[in-house]
Amino acid sequence: MKLNNIIFIAALVGTGMMATSCADDFLDQKNTTSLNQDTFFDSDDAVKEATSTLYNYVWNSFNGKLYYSMGDGRSNNITAQWSNYIKVYTNFNETSLSEGLQEGWASLYSVVAQSNNVINNIKDKSSSAVTESAKNEGIAEARFMRGVAYWYLASLWGNVILYNNTSDLVNNYVVPTNPRADVMEFAIRDLEYAAKYLPAVSSEAGRVNKYSAFGMLSRLYLSMAGLTTDGQYDGTNVATDFNRGTRNTYYLNLARKAAEKVIKESSFKLMSDYASLFKIANNNCAEDMFQLQWLSGSTDAIGWGCNQDITAFFGWSTMVSEGTNWGGATCCSWNLFQEYESSDLRRHESVAAYGDYYADLNVKGGGYTYGVTESASTNGANIKKYVVGTHDDNGVSYKQSSGINTHMLRLAEVYLNLADAILGNNASTTDAEALQYFNAVRTRAGLEAKSSIDYETLRHERRMEFAFEGLYWYDLVRRAYYKQQEVVNYLNNQDRNRTYKYDAEAGAYKPSEKAGTGVATATAASMLLPYSDADQNKNSYLKSSATPVAYSFGAREVDESTLFE
Amino acid sequence: MIMKRTSNAKKTLGLLFLFAMFPLWILAQNITVKGTVSDDGGPVIGATVKMKGATTGSVTDLDGKYTISVKPGSTLQVSYLGYQTQEVKIGNRTTINVVLKTDEEMLNEVVVVGYGQMKRADVTGSVVSINEKAVERSVPTSIDQVLQGRAAGVQIQANSGTPGASTSIHIRGINSLNATNQPIFVIDGVVVDAAGVDTNDPLSSNNPLASINPSDIVSMDVLKDASATAIYGARASNGVIMITTKRGKAGEATITYDGYVGWQEQAKKLDMMNLQQYATHHNARAAEGIVAYSDAFVNTDALGEGTDWQDALFRKALMTNHNISITGGTQASTYAISGGYLNQKGIAEGSGYKRLTLRGNTDAQVKKWLKAALSFSLTDSKQEVGADNGLIMNALESQPSVAVKSADGSYDGPDDVWMPVNAIAIANMRENYNKKMNFRVNGSLEATLYKGLTLKTEISADYNLNKFYYYEPDYKFGVLSNDTRTGKWTKTDTKYWSWRNILTYANTFAEKHTVNVMLGQEMSHSHWESQASTATGFLSNSVHDPSAGDVSSSTGTGTQVNNSLFSYFGRAFYSYDDRYLLTATLRRDGSSRFADGHRWGWFPSAALAWKVSNESFMKGTANVINNLKLRFGWGSTGNQNVSDWAYMALLASKSTPWGTGVLTANNANPDLKWETTDSYNIGLDLNMFSNRIEFIADWYYKKTRDLLLQIPLPAYLGSSGNGAASNPWSNVGSLRNTGVEMTLNTVNIDKAGFQWRTNLVFSLNRNKVISLDTESSTIDKTFQVGSDVSTVTRTTVGHPIGQFWGYKVIGRFDKASDFYYKDADGNVKAVALPEGSSIAKDKTWIGDYIFEDINGDGKINNEDETFIGNPLPDFTYGIGNTFSWKGFDLTIFFSGSYGNDVINYNRRFIEDVRSNSNLLTSAANYAQLGVIDKNLPADDFRNLYVTNASVTHLPRLSASSTNANNRMSDLYIEDGSYLRLQNISLSYTLPKNIVRKIKLENVKVYMNLQNVYTWTKYDGFDPEVGAMYGDALMTGLDYGRYPSPRIYTFGLNVSF
Repeated sequence: MKLNNIIFIAALVGTGMMATSCADDFLDQKNTTSLNQDTFFDSDDAVKEATSTLYNYVWNSFNGKLYYSMGDGRSNNITAQWSNYIKVYTNFNETSLSEGLQEGWASLYSVVAQSNNVINNIKDKSSSAVTESAKNEGIAEARFMRGVAYWYLASLWGNVILYNNTSDLVNNYVVPTNPRADVMEFAIRDLEYAAKYLPAVSSEAGRVNKYSAFGMLSRLYLSMAGLTTDGQYDGTNVATDFNRGTRNTYYLNLARKAAEKVIKESSFKLMSDYASLFKIANNNCAEDMFQLQWLSGSTDAIGWGCNQDITAFFGWSTMVSEGTNWGGATCCSWNLFQEYESSDLRRHESVAAYGDYYADLNVKGGGYTYGVTESASTNGANIKKYVVGTHDDNGVSYKQSSGINTHMLRLAEVYLNLADAILGNNASTTDAEALQYFNAVRTRAGLEAKSSIDYETLRHERRMEFAFEGLYWYDLVRRAYYKQQEVVNYLNNQDRNRTYKYDAEAGAYKPSEKAGTGVATATAASMLLPYSDADQNKNSYLKSSATPVAYSFGAREVDESTLFE
Repeated sequence: MIMKRTSNAKKTLGLLFLFAMFPLWILAQNITVKGTVSDDGGPVIGATVKMKGATTGSVTDLDGKYTISVKPGSTLQVSYLGYQTQEVKIGNRTTINVVLKTDEEMLNEVVVVGYGQMKRADVTGSVVSINEKAVERSVPTSIDQVLQGRAAGVQIQANSGTPGASTSIHIRGINSLNATNQPIFVIDGVVVDAAGVDTNDPLSSNNPLASINPSDIVSMDVLKDASATAIYGARASNGVIMITTKRGKAGEATITYDGYVGWQEQAKKLDMMNLQQYATHHNARAAEGIVAYSDAFVNTDALGEGTDWQDALFRKALMTNHNISITGGTQASTYAISGGYLNQKGIAEGSGYKRLTLRGNTDAQVKKWLKAALSFSLTDSKQEVGADNGLIMNALESQPSVAVKSADGSYDGPDDVWMPVNAIAIANMRENYNKKMNFRVNGSLEATLYKGLTLKTEISADYNLNKFYYYEPDYKFGVLSNDTRTGKWTKTDTKYWSWRNILTYANTFAEKHTVNVMLGQEMSHSHWESQASTATGFLSNSVHDPSAGDVSSSTGTGTQVNNSLFSYFGRAFYSYDDRYLLTATLRRDGSSRFADGHRWGWFPSAALAWKVSNESFMKGTANVINNLKLRFGWGSTGNQNVSDWAYMALLASKSTPWGTGVLTANNANPDLKWETTDSYNIGLDLNMFSNRIEFIADWYYKKTRDLLLQIPLPAYLGSSGNGAASNPWSNVGSLRNTGVEMTLNTVNIDKAGFQWRTNLVFSLNRNKVISLDTESSTIDKTFQVGSDVSTVTRTTVGHPIGQFWGYKVIGRFDKASDFYYKDADGNVKAVALPEGSSIAKDKTWIGDYIFEDINGDGKINNEDETFIGNPLPDFTYGIGNTFSWKGFDLTIFFSGSYGNDVINYNRRFIEDVRSNSNLLTSAANYAQLGVIDKNLPADDFRNLYVTNASVTHLPRLSASSTNANNRMSDLYIEDGSYLRLQNISLSYTLPKNIVRKIKLENVKVYMNLQNVYTWTKYDGFDPEVGAMYGDALMTGLDYGRYPSPRIYTFGLNVSF
């Protein structure tokens, strides 16, 4: 028994000691699932793999709602009677508590935060095997995304928080906002960097290139032209009179140069046919300079975050779009519907009105005639753009995953930006270059060329061309930087929230007798959105009483005078 | 000694105690005494009968008879586990029959403490025990239900009423901000790690208790203060629940069958609109331009009741339970084997729970110096989770105009895509269930190396195989359709093993110095792996396995996680003269969850107890006060509940059009470390009048520092949405819990076979945040419904955690003059309106709410949000009364909570007068506007007033939402206090002499009513809300919680 005891103890103590001595080894575990940022960046390919998610996942929430609820809902291209995330904004009913506000704000900042992560990882974590040019290119791609996100933020909320290192802010996120012009400047510097370091030709179809950045710059410079008085922005030349009527020629000039750079040097081309822009087969076509890149497939297969779900919010029936659709009452506004010139080919592609025939919908049933194949909406004509049919029609679409890319920047916009920049502070222009590109867009739509351009012709053309592509509100915001009262008056005369329906006897659409209900009067304050209540609660600097603090920019990395050489 | 050998340690220790208490008598001139020992049910077999002071005695036989040789004039002592020991003066009698009385709270009972056992009398810490009688009386499906109201300081709330769902168990308040505030469970000495459970799923049975068959339980010991829990170190700060299962006894086998059948029903129904009411309200909304008129609602008088979706979803549900156990053994080896089957249907369609359990415990004395034990348990369960929170809301919000089924028998649906999908159809057609298999095995060897010195080595393993099955068919319910058939399987395997070696030395020196020293070492490892496969392209809904889908559109993913813990620990117990007791423990833990340099932590504790009643000066009061003990304890415990790899920035692999890409998955915190709780405890144990009154009181103070929390970052840090990196874990501050708990057990009447016992339990806890390290010093929790994201709770320094946060409604604009008030100087001022609003029909108007302008800046914005409620109760309590008479046992048990608030978040939606979904009938009583003077314009607010102001609290119907009347406000905060008649159970144990005649040992029939009635002011289904997602900071938020059912059960217990 004694011997047994001794053996027993010896065995236990022996193994116990052995285990003890390797306690620390025992506590070392290996992560077999996830890569980590410290070891991942060991090749040029790794950099590309880190930027490829900035074209979809980070934009997913933006794309799902804010893209159209602001771009088109607030500008009254859309009348959506019952959708709380659109109609609140259309009717100027928004408060810091409104549905969709926090989501929209968060969606743009998820782009900023993840772009920062990519930029800093490339800078700090790349091994020596990563080439300098790959690093610059990767950073440029991420800065393109961040710049675009900040342009949206500056346009919608004005003063917002600028930061370039997400992890720095994690432990101390209560920081003041920065003024709108600083945010715009930050965005411009990001895109100038992108314009300088991105390759002239996209390395892969759908990735942005140098000219995508120039094209985007033409948009941003036009915004900045309204926010500043004269010369390059230096923190002091911020415009304070929003009704002064003129724009900063320095930025008008840059906008023109950036647009011309794209038009003259890049390989981007207008599609000959407007309709072809909205086909899945033409994702990343020659006219698209920046699109959100969605995967095709069921969300159960591809997951959430890389799926195109706008279609489910625009589609008006299960016959025209896969699965349950919420777009039945999401209609083209009466105001927009009336503004279409009768021969404008874009109307049929943008809005489905009574009698319109679509061969690409209900293919097996011999096509789809709106209002005839199924009864039409009683709220108005439905939105056709991004509605691409069911899986049976196109072989691609699934529920909440239609597979069509989202247009973020088309060459047509750069053409119209050029015309706007040339028009500048003049009441109208007959400049040949401006007319050439303006009319290129207009004639494609089957309309007669114009011989002179003024603000109104440009406004109209842009609204028709980009309806439901999430842009029109920003056109109005930009105008309100220097003609605020005119824009506010315009907003109040848009006959918002009015329903209309097809009158078979008259053979035409007729508006409801009663004006739209629940529409508040727009004021200068309506040009900005409130910060969401949830975030104000977390950061008192977002409260209305707090004043923004100037952002301290470092030295300009890209010289604007040499950028266009 | 001819007593039947029992391996039951309680009994052995109990005898040891008796030996120690009474000095030896000198024996001479013995006589023989005979008799029978019985209780109120009949003869007692195996009772020990001996002469007081003697070391040997006799044991009663199968008929309860004994024979013993004793000295005349001495005292006979009769004892049996579970009964009060009786002493009978022999005098000159030779036949003495003894009737034993049950004793539920014996001081001699053994309490399971960390890595060992102790006599209750020696315990220095705060430990509360629940015995099997309490389990029997409450007929639980899961044993956590037994703890509710029965253990002071333990707050139990069911997070959902769905069968098999988890409960929130908080021991002495919420002392972590972390989502997992659950204590650890130690089943027969083995820590059951909840690794790999999805704490975000309120329905997941993430508490290991759900997998245990309650009838296998002998006792539950809840270790509350740090001096008791510190031996579990890094995992102990939320408390420890020790569970002991039944083990065998030497002797002929006992076979017991226990079974019951029960019915469950919805305890309360909400008063939702019927079709006519809904149509009338719809027309009123259409008149305001909120919605288009519906042709179907033109003549509301012609409409009937429509669909009652609550009736459609809820049903009377059956439950059955069967258990069989066999225990027995020889002197050298004993066994206990049991099998159980539970089948519980849920009261909502699509919910249910089935559980099969099998357990075996064997113990053997393999050598004179070596004991071996082997235990295993197997649980196989299936939980139907078709009726989740979403579905309950669906049923409430579904319009009564929609039928459950169309005339052709197919499921119907709404004509509005924004309305909820047919809840009944989804519950029945969608496959949504999980199957869980758990296998635990535990083997140990214990060697007696030297007198009093033992070495035990024990290996335990815990395997879980969790499988989740999901299939969504294609359907078309009204305008809602789904064309994609999707099947999804998720399989999660976990394996946990641990190995510990424990050296124990126990001895008593010079009669007065009792020492018990334990040293141990333990290592444990958890492995978690999960594999999910999803398929679409099924050709029909009749087969659901992923292989039946289209391989080209299927996906498969897999991931695994390992973590490990390495520990050393020790405990020293010293008792001087059974008057002064000292326990000290120390543990050192290393955890893989933290980066190198932050891995190891020390967890010490010490406790002192003074048995005042054993002092000589107390001798005179011994017949009144039979036990008085004072306890003082201090200790430090840890919490390591963070996700693995939180200290490292990971990249998630994502598919993109250009192949796989990566996205930053989390914000890392390399400095992450333990959360530590330091606590102090002062306690008093008092037993009077031979234990007829037992009183236990404790006061405690706990301070938790380095609080672990996944910081809810603001949205502008990119913290939400599909492309967001997850929020970082951090050590954010400290908080304090202090409280008092009291238990009073009394035997009120014990006469002529009638006994009335009362148990009172009272727990009071106060929680306060001491510091937070974030600059803003607040932690806000938001809750999202659709696109509505609202802050619901705020946690900030100086307040208890998770306080409800929002606006205060101070009135309604009932007439034009309400828009103005006179300030202190008599100046007329405008009442504050929401920022950006003004007096206009499309903004703020007559009939809209007035919110309190807390900062007095003349406008309502989020600076006017404030604390509007406290989800934490002032105190909780339990009252139990048991009446016993001739085999009848009647227990009436109440549990309650006082002073806590609940957010009735449902009302934000089902009492929103503007909403198109179905509403509470009360919503029809919205504020109606009337014109004061018909000759004046009706669009001038000065000519309007609320006509029904005195009878409604609701706002007007408005096409505008600018005033945001349904914003998160104190209107949705309700008093969540309740008193619940939790149980009425009645049992009858047939007299043993009758039972014996039919060769049975014991027969008991019983019935039980559970959740009988609840006294509360709360308007929702059930004031017992628990925590949303099991998150302590979301306590008291009720949004479509599955209501707890009322249950009637009838059962039978037979053993032979």
